[in-house]
Formats: sequence, structure tokens, C-alpha cells
Amino acid sequence: MDPITFSIIRHRLFRVIDEAVITLKHVSGSAITNEGHDLMVSLYRADGSLLMGGVGFLHHLTSAAEACKAVIRRFEGDIGEGDVFLTNCPYTAALHTSDIYLVAPIHHDGRLVAWSACFVHVYDIGAMVPGGFSPDSRDIFTEGFSSPGIKLVEGDTMRRDVMDTLLNMVRAPEMVALDLSSMIAANNVARERMVALIEKYGAEPVDEACAALVDQSETLFRKRLQELPDGRWEARQYFDIEGETCRVLLAMTKEGDELTFDFTGSSPQSHYGINCTYWASWGGFFAPLFPLLCYDITWNDGVLRPISMIAPEGSVVNCTRPAPVSLATVGAIQSVNNAACTCIAKMLSASEAYAKEATAVWHGSHFAIFMFGLNQRRQEAIGILTETFGGAGGARTWADGIDVGGEIPNPIGRMANVETTEATFPVRYLFRRARPDTGGPGRWRGGNGIEFALVQHDSPEGGINYVVSGKGTEFSMSEGLGGGYAGAPCAYRWVHNNRAREDGRNVNPFPTSLDEMTGEAETISWGVFPLKGDDALYVRSDGGGGFGDPLEREPARVQADVQAGAVSAEVAARVYGVVTTAGGVDEDATRARREALRQARLATPVAAE
Amino acid sequence: MSERNGARYVVATDVGGTCTDAVLFAAGEPVRLGKALSTPPDFADGVLAAVAAAAEGMGIATDALLAETGLFVHGSTVVDNTLLTRTGASTGLITTEGFEDTLTITRGAYGRWAGLTEDGIKHPVATDRAPALVPGTRTRGVPERVDYKGAVLRPLDEDAVRAAICALVEDAGVDALAVSFLWSFYNDAHERRVGDLIREIAPSVYVTLSSEIAPVPGEYERASTTVINAYAGRIARDYVTTLQGLLKARGYDGPLLVMQGYGGLLPAEEAAGRAVGMLECGPAAGVIGSRHLGQLMEDDDIIACDMGGTTFKVGVIQGGAIEYAREPMVDRYHYVAPKIEVVSIGAGGGSIVALDPVTGVPGVGPASAGARPGPVCYGLGGTEPTLTDVMLLVGYMDPGTFLGGTITLDAQAARHAFEEKVARPLAMSVEEAAIGIYRIAAAQITDLIHEITVERGLDPRDFVLHAFGGSCGLLCGVFGAELGVKRIVVPHTAAVNAAFGLLAADIVHEYSVTRTLPADSPAEEINAIYAPMVERARAQLAAEGFTGDAIALDWSVDLRYGRQVHEVTTPVADGGPMDDAAVAWLAADFEALYERKFGKGSAYRAAGMEMTMFRLSARGLVERPPIERSPPGDGDPAPALIGRRDIFVEAAGALAPADIYDFERLAPGNVVTGPAVIHTPITTIVLQAGQAGRMDAYRNIVIELG
Repeated sequence: MDPITFSIIRHRLFRVIDEAVITLKHVSGSAITNEGHDLMVSLYRADGSLLMGGVGFLHHLTSAAEACKAVIRRFEGDIGEGDVFLTNCPYTAALHTSDIYLVAPIHHDGRLVAWSACFVHVYDIGAMVPGGFSPDSRDIFTEGFSSPGIKLVEGDTMRRDVMDTLLNMVRAPEMVALDLSSMIAANNVARERMVALIEKYGAEPVDEACAALVDQSETLFRKRLQELPDGRWEARQYFDIEGETCRVLLAMTKEGDELTFDFTGSSPQSHYGINCTYWASWGGFFAPLFPLLCYDITWNDGVLRPISMIAPEGSVVNCTRPAPVSLATVGAIQSVNNAACTCIAKMLSASEAYAKEATAVWHGSHFAIFMFGLNQRRQEAIGILTETFGGAGGARTWADGIDVGGEIPNPIGRMANVETTEATFPVRYLFRRARPDTGGPGRWRGGNGIEFALVQHDSPEGGINYVVSGKGTEFSMSEGLGGGYAGAPCAYRWVHNNRAREDGRNVNPFPTSLDEMTGEAETISWGVFPLKGDDALYVRSDGGGGFGDPLEREPARVQADVQAGAVSAEVAARVYGVVTTAGGVDEDATRARREALRQARLATPVAAE
Repeated sequence: MSERNGARYVVATDVGGTCTDAVLFAAGEPVRLGKALSTPPDFADGVLAAVAAAAEGMGIATDALLAETGLFVHGSTVVDNTLLTRTGASTGLITTEGFEDTLTITRGAYGRWAGLTEDGIKHPVATDRAPALVPGTRTRGVPERVDYKGAVLRPLDEDAVRAAICALVEDAGVDALAVSFLWSFYNDAHERRVGDLIREIAPSVYVTLSSEIAPVPGEYERASTTVINAYAGRIARDYVTTLQGLLKARGYDGPLLVMQGYGGLLPAEEAAGRAVGMLECGPAAGVIGSRHLGQLMEDDDIIACDMGGTTFKVGVIQGGAIEYAREPMVDRYHYVAPKIEVVSIGAGGGSIVALDPVTGVPGVGPASAGARPGPVCYGLGGTEPTLTDVMLLVGYMDPGTFLGGTITLDAQAARHAFEEKVARPLAMSVEEAAIGIYRIAAAQITDLIHEITVERGLDPRDFVLHAFGGSCGLLCGVFGAELGVKRIVVPHTAAVNAAFGLLAADIVHEYSVTRTLPADSPAEEINAIYAPMVERARAQLAAEGFTGDAIALDWSVDLRYGRQVHEVTTPVADGGPMDDAAVAWLAADFEALYERKFGKGSAYRAAGMEMTMFRLSARGLVERPPIERSPPGDGDPAPALIGRRDIFVEAAGALAPADIYDFERLAPGNVVTGPAVIHTPITTIVLQAGQAGRMDAYRNIVIELG
């Protein structure tokens, strides 16, 4: 293929997606889409295979390919120009019911030449709990509307019966309608621009360029795999819900130019909706794989070809219908992300050339707080607290992780301003900051996570409700790398100021830390809770994983962290073995302290496997 | 404000990163242009050198010229430069206790990825934030709290404020302080009190309050803006007062007006206190110049392109109105200030042409050879082939006449480097590969313009394209045609775009009040919000010498649908004050604008509409002499025909013979038919086959496409 035309077509395909994403954000106008960038638009070839993945929630790049393929199978002979199909069934392709895929064929001269697909996390899907995250659901039937495939638009005409049926099953149907409109508009733009591209360069050259683009990714990715050492790397993730502990085991094997992800040994599916389906696990490890291994390779089907997955049926990473999955995106999928990040990073760090690409886990728990209730203007308010997109960077082999620095699977998320949230929900923040000592200690420190606390403020009903979806409180999910420690686990506290006031105690209305709060702090991690009266909700997210032995961290860096308030002097001494003073590092004391810590390690018996 | 009696000249100077441009202008005289190298950090030297260069063409000394000058208009990159080189003040931040990290954690990953290219975003392990201008160690939280309604929940703890000021000034040694509290744009009492205390305790410290510099919602962006202003404030103030003093010493005693990023001018005294206002004012001036040219030519819808050595910039003018940026950044720091939206990509004459080391796919930029060493053909030591070298290889540039013949281009060296680094690895001939690279550059520009028009819900086919800058004329015939614009205009002043724009700008004061009201609120309530702003604006303009018809007050309101994030600034059709009918019209106009921008079906009426910000733009109209028009002659360009050579003709897909014209010898009314090249002393204009370029009465080259 002529390299010039190839370069132009490739650039234009990127722009097709960009323009579709802009359109989607414009029409949607919702905070989760516009602030959190919780969306995705990608292009697929005529057979449904990934042609060009956009920058969005990366789990979806491969799952939407599966959605295209499912539609192709289900609607064979009934796929027309101007049709748009909807699927949100997790057992077909979607991650959970709240993430709706709209999939649209692109025709040229009457021939199906490509697909566009997009997703947003819709405002509501009619599950038990408003917003969709339903800790109390015990099966898929209580997780809201779910379709394995339905034609929403036929020949550019909306099927009113289908739309009305769907909207009849959700809360705030106007908002959901807007979400769907935004996706239809995005697909329309993608189609118009693809057709314009084909009209300018011709169907055949464009098809040839698309095939070459996929082949190029495969060739480059296989070459990269060849350059990396062969081996088998393992990672373990635990997550805890209401006393139940689930385990995700991953063994990643690299041989030549192929990679296998094997989840054998992972826990059986859970009673809770943290399970994920087969295609969600498949997308779950691609989310870190694309940016960690293919940062300079186009994200498409070529990257998928050298890869296989083993995920035991009936397990937490490949649950059997009708197991509940509404919290999959912050549950098992997140564990698959993390385990894959760890395995890939171990492989990268085994190569001199690629060690700089390795990273400890970022934002392992992906804690999420969902709010619902009436806001100060007496409007129904449903939505996620965007601190979930705040994240925390994992340490790299050459640099610290980034404090409140985001995550890998969603490269351009961001959190809302406090002022935005206080204007949207009837709440007041007591504080919001990077939490010292949460980043996993290491030669390179993991990024610190975030902590914040809320009280209700001006709520017409005296309060609002929130959903906490646990995990990562008992065991950190932000694993370290190369001897680096894990990030600190998450913490959720229901601070009972109401009770304190009933007991006649003074309640401090302006505490600036958990310690300054007056009421009893009850540990919570799973379920729906009220935020009423003077009670407060305290949340601490997990920090990023560290890299390397903290005893090898340059003392000057520890000192700088202590000065900046990122690490406490106590942790500096206890974990890093660095004795800090106002004037600088006490070098003699540090040497002695580190030696003592090493001796103590040698004296610790090694646990039997 | 008009020019003083007997003072004939208006002087505009624009300090850019590399060059400082000057434009001199008087009734009945041709426009004079001057260029000099910029001279950081003492930019004023370059300003005077550029003025001298322009005055030289008139045979007049700088002092004599300044003595006859009635108005001196100025734009500068001094603040951008302070940020880029990190040479601002040691700055501290005082903020609400409990929220000390707002600035450093940048709304999470936002500060890590904002400003990166797509390639950068896809490689998160290699990304980091830019180091904060104020580190956590120079940030102090103090007890105070205001809520979302502006109600004080917790009074300001003045003892804590005093302690914080002392700690920052005495222990941390800061000499500038930013103050940014939560919700201060609704209630600025606490910030103002802190400002008073700083002036009392540490009078020499430079102070910026967020409620003064950026009274808008969003504590991260507001704090960032406040910090930027404090960081660069003293440098900006000293710069403006130094320039003012220097001009006075050289015999100029008129007003000095300073360009703002929103495309209006401010008197030096006011500009000196608003460093953030000067950010990106050069590109803003370019858009203002484009709008002015559009007014002369009766075009309301314009895509204004400017292609220089390192970047390609685009601004959009729709219905004569200019769009403001929603999330402006300088370097990688966010700020909020009204700023004309100008989008850029790293594609300019100096952009390096290279094959991707991994994929072998050819690409243009964003790496640039800049002015030094510059393109290979300049012979200044450049070894990497650039887009300018490609332009030479496809026959668009004449080695002998570049920059009026001041540099002889080395075509052999360019060919050699391009063959070795691009053509041979691609297994193509030099001509084939050069044509290919040209097509890639044109396609990237087409894609960019397409995307930013989609962003605004516009169709490029409804627009006129203005091609400014040294390199735009080489490409506009191709990308303009693919976009399907109505016509292309290559302005006479293409090479001094920003300075020309300064000549067209008015004094503009921007005011705003943030308040959330239902869209059907009574008119009196809205008028009451505007009353103090209007009073302030009139007093300000009166003090600057504007009265009566020389004052224009534009009201506009930001509206949004309930539960939606997109806000649309909607002009109040008949200005203020409003009556209830005008309020209803405003809502209807908002709905129409919203659907136009965000697409059909995007309106969400169920949750109602609300007004969120009330803006007043107060303009003092600056009088200027009109630009000279030359009477058009006949259509025959033959006297300007200077040769014939092979150039790349897109329709032929290959090099083909074309006529070469000298711009200086063309007369208004002449029509040049493509394929052809017109050389001006600074730029080159290429007409593709089938395109006809007519010189108009202002000596612009106009290419009709529609």
C-alpha cells in the first residue's frame, strides 16, 4: 500500500473517532460523560473486528467488537443502511447493564463496509438501586433492563415502540433518552465521515488501508513480544465484600510472539454483583495491555490476534447467567485490570530495553460512591462522585507514581471541582486532599490516593443516599512491583455525628481530618447508606503501588516527601528507615535504622507456600 | 479616545516568540511593516528596533516618528514567556483549610494529560504533571468557609491568616501571594480581608485575589489562574511601565494600549495588574485582524488560519462573532480568563518531516527545526528535512527570491537530506515523496479544521478562509478546496497578522457576575445584577476619555439546561436593560444557539433552563484612519509575470509547468490563473489548477471556490 495514502487515511480514521467523541459529549451533556470521560467510540471492520480504538474507557474496545459480532450473528439478513442496534446484555458483550452499546453499520454503495460503536454509562437502567450499581441484587434480573440485541433505529428512523419500552423501564427517562441520542449522533458522525473518506479515496484503497492498519499492528506487536523475554508471570488479587473474599489468579505466559492469560484458580462466582462475564475479562486485561505494550501501536484487532485467554466457567471472572454483575466495572474487571498490569509490568521489567515501561498498579480498587436523592433545588439527582476518577499513579521503575494521578484503563478521566459537586448534590465537603502515606512505599513511591469527607447541606429531605461498593478495604488492590509495597487500602467511615449530638456531645462542624471528627466512625464497605443530619461520610481511596525496596529509596527523596507532607516522619523512619529532622536527613541514624530493618527482615521466618 | 491633534501615526507592535513586528499606519499613506528579532527578557529593545525598521522605509527616525504618533498599540508574549521559562516570582498560596491540595492535584489526572498530544495520552506511563508553580510547601490553608449560595458558614480566622502570611513571607520567602477561597466568586469578603492583611503586614508582596482576577466557579481553575497572575504579575507590571517610560523618553506622550487574550485593548495602567490577560494575545490579535478584514470585505463567517514556522493556528469567526476558549492553558497550566479560541497543531514551515521509527510511516511535525537551525535549505546548519524543504522540492519556492532575496535557499542540500532521510527509505523518487509529504500536511490541516468546525456545529462550506502567516499560502489552495470553503483570501498583511490585528482592536473591559437564576426570572432581577457592572464600566471608560457614541455596552448571559454541563454564552439581542419580553427572547436565542452548536435533539428541556453567568463587555471605540483602497485596474497580470517553472499541481498528481508572478508588480484588479505561484517579499501563494486569484482594492489575493 502506498505509504502516503496510508498515512493520510490512518490520520483521518483517528479524526473520525475524535469528531464522534466530541459529538457524543455535546449531545449528552452529562457530568459522567463530560467530566469522567466514561465513554468510548471506536471503529470496527465489516466483520466486527476492531479497526481503530479511541481514547475512552479501554475495557470497551474489545467488548464493543463483541457487540458488533453478536449483532452480525443475530441479525444476519436484517442489517440495513441507517440501522442502529442496541445491546447492554453482559452475557452477550456489555460489562454491566448500565453501559449501553449502540452499534451501527456503515454502508457505501449499498455494501456494508464498517461498523461504528459507542457506549456511555446511562443515567439509569431501572435496576434495584437508582443509577444501576446495586449491591443488593442477587441476580441479573434485578439489575434492570437488559437486551442481547435490539434494533433501535431502522433506516434512520427511530423505532418509537422500542425506545418507549426502554424509557418506560428507567428512572429519569428524559436523561436516558438524551444519553441514547448522544450515541446515535456520534454514530451518525462516524458514518458520515467514513463515507466521505471512502468517497474521496475509493472503497478499495480505504479497505486496503484498513486491512494494512490491522496487519501493521499485528506485525509490530508480535515483534515487540519477540523482543521481550519468554516466561510465566503470576499475579493475585483479592477483594472483600461483607466478609466474603474473592480471589482472581492470573498466570500470564509469553512464548515467542504469543501471550496467554490464564485465570485458572480464580474464585467461583460471587453472590454479589462484582462478578464479570467472559468478554468483560477479555476487555479487562486489554485495558492495561493497550497503553502498556502498544503505546505506539494502533489499537486494533491486530493486537488481539497473538492473545488467548483461559477463564474458568462459573468463576468470578467468567460468571454463569444469571449471576449478578452490576458492580463488575469496579469489581472483578478491576481485579483483572490490576492482575494484568502486574503481569505485564513484571514481563517488561525483565527486559533491559523495556523496563522503563513497567509500572506498579494504579488506582487498584476504583472505589466508587454513587449518590441519589433530591438535591437542594428539589430535583432528582443521581450520579457518581467523580473522585472515583481521581485515582493514584503506580510507581514506575524510574519515577514515583503520581499523587491522585488517575488510572491506566481510562487515560483521560478527571474529577469535578468541589464547587461543581456542591452545586449538584445537597452536600458540603469538609476537606478533600491527597492522603499522605497511602502511596505504596518503594525505591520509587506509589502516588498517594485521595481522602475527603461530606456532610449533607441544605437537603430538602434532610439528607441523601449513597451506595458504597466495598473492595480493597481489607486487602490493597494496588499491588507493588519489584519489592515495592502495595498502596494503602481504601477506607469508608460513616461518622455518627447525629448520635454524638443525641449524647449531648459537641459536634465539630468543620473538622479537617477524620481524627477531628466527633462522632463514632463506623467502618462500612458495602450497601446503600443515608447521609443525614450531622452525620458525615469519610472516604479514603487506595494509593498506587510502589516499586523496589523502600530501604533503597534515596534518603533525600524521603526527606523531600516528609517536607511536602506526602509521607509522615513516622512512616519515613518505620518503613523507609530514613530518620528525618527539620534540618535534613540524619545520615548516621538512617544508616543504623536501615541496617536494623534489614537484620529484622533476615530474622523473620519465611512463610511456607 | 482619538489620536492627538497633529499626531498622524498609529503604531502597532507585536512581540512574538521569535520576531517582533511593527505596523505603521496613517491616513492617505501606505501601511508600513517592520520586523526585528525579539529580545527577551528586555523585550522593549526589540519593540523599538521593529519600529525603527518600519520607520526606516519612510526615511524618518524613530524619535521623530514617535513624536508624530497619536496611538501606540502593543501586544506581547512576555507573560507566556515568563511561564515557559519558569522565571516568575516565588509565589505562595492562601486557601481554604482542608483544600490545600486543590492546585497540586489538578482535579486528578486532568493536569497530567491536558495539553498532551493523542500519542502522549496513549502512553500514560511516560506522563507527569508539570511541576506546580506553587508547591504544597508554599500553600497555607486558613479556617473559613462559604457555601454554594455565598453564605458564610465559618468566619475568617484572622489570626490564622496573619500567621500564614508571616510564615510564607518570612520563612518561605515568597514575594507574591495568591489568595483563592472556595465560593469566593459569590462572596469575596474573606479574600478582600486577606488582601488587606497582606498589604498591612507585607506591603511589598505582590497580591492577586481569585475573586478579582477570575470570579468564576471551579476552584481548581480559579486557583490556578490566581497563581499564574501572582507568579507573572510583577514582571508584567514592570514590563508595561518600562515600555511606557521608554516611549515617553523617546518623545511619545500618547496612550499605550495593551492587547488582551480576549481580543480587546486595555490602557497600560490597567493591563499592568492583569498578567493573565496578556496570555496568548498575539493569536487573539490575529483573529481580530481577520474579523476586521472580513468587515471590510463584508464576510461574516471566517476560518482564520495562520501558519508560521512551528505551528498551524486556526480561529473561527461566525456571524462576525468570535468564540472564546472554554479551557485555556498556558504551557500545561490551566487558567480561566476570557480568551479567543485559537487551536493549533505542530505543523509549520519548520516542522520536521520524518518516518516513524517503529512503523516507517511518514509524518510531519510536531518536532520543529524552528528558526535556528531551521530548514535544511536555509543553510544555517539544519540537517533534518522540514516542510519548507518540501515546498522547495515541489517547486513552490524560488531559491533566489526568498525573503526578498536576503537568503539564498540551498536546493541541493534540501534535496540531498530529503532523499536520504525520507525518499529512499520510502523507495520513492524525491519528487514523488515530496508530493506525498505535501499531501499529508494538507490532509492533517484539513482534518484539524474539520474537527474544530464540528466542535462548534459548523459546516466549513459556509465559510471564507483567511490564510495568514509565511507558509499558509503554500497549502491553502489544496486544503481550502477539500474543505469546500466559499473563497480563500490571502491578505496583504499576511506576514504581520498579529500586529495588523492590533490596529483593528478596540478598548474592551470584560466584567462578569456568577449567579444561578432560572431562565424565566423577572427582568428587574437581571437588571439589578447588571447595574453595578454598567456603572463601573461607564466610569472606567469615561476616565479613559470615551463618551457618548464611542461607548458600546454588550450584554450576554451564559445559559444551560438543568442537569447539563454545557453552557452557551448568549448575547442579549438589544443590549440592556432588559424587559420581560427580552428575557423570553434570550431563552429562545439560547435554545437556538444550543441546538446549532450541540446538534439537533441535544436540547434537554425537562429540567428547565438556568442562567449561570452575566457578562458585560464594555467597549471604547478607538477612531482610526481608514485603510487606503486602490482603484482596480484591468484583469491582465502579464506585467507581473516573471517566469515559468515546474510546480506540483494537485489535479495532475505531479509536477507541471506553471506561471510565476511577482506580487509587488501585480495591480488591483489583476487576475492570476492557476496553476501559478505568486511570490511576495515574505510569503508565497500557490494557485492550483482551475483556481483564479484576483488582487482586490486592498491588495489581498482572493480565490473564489464556491
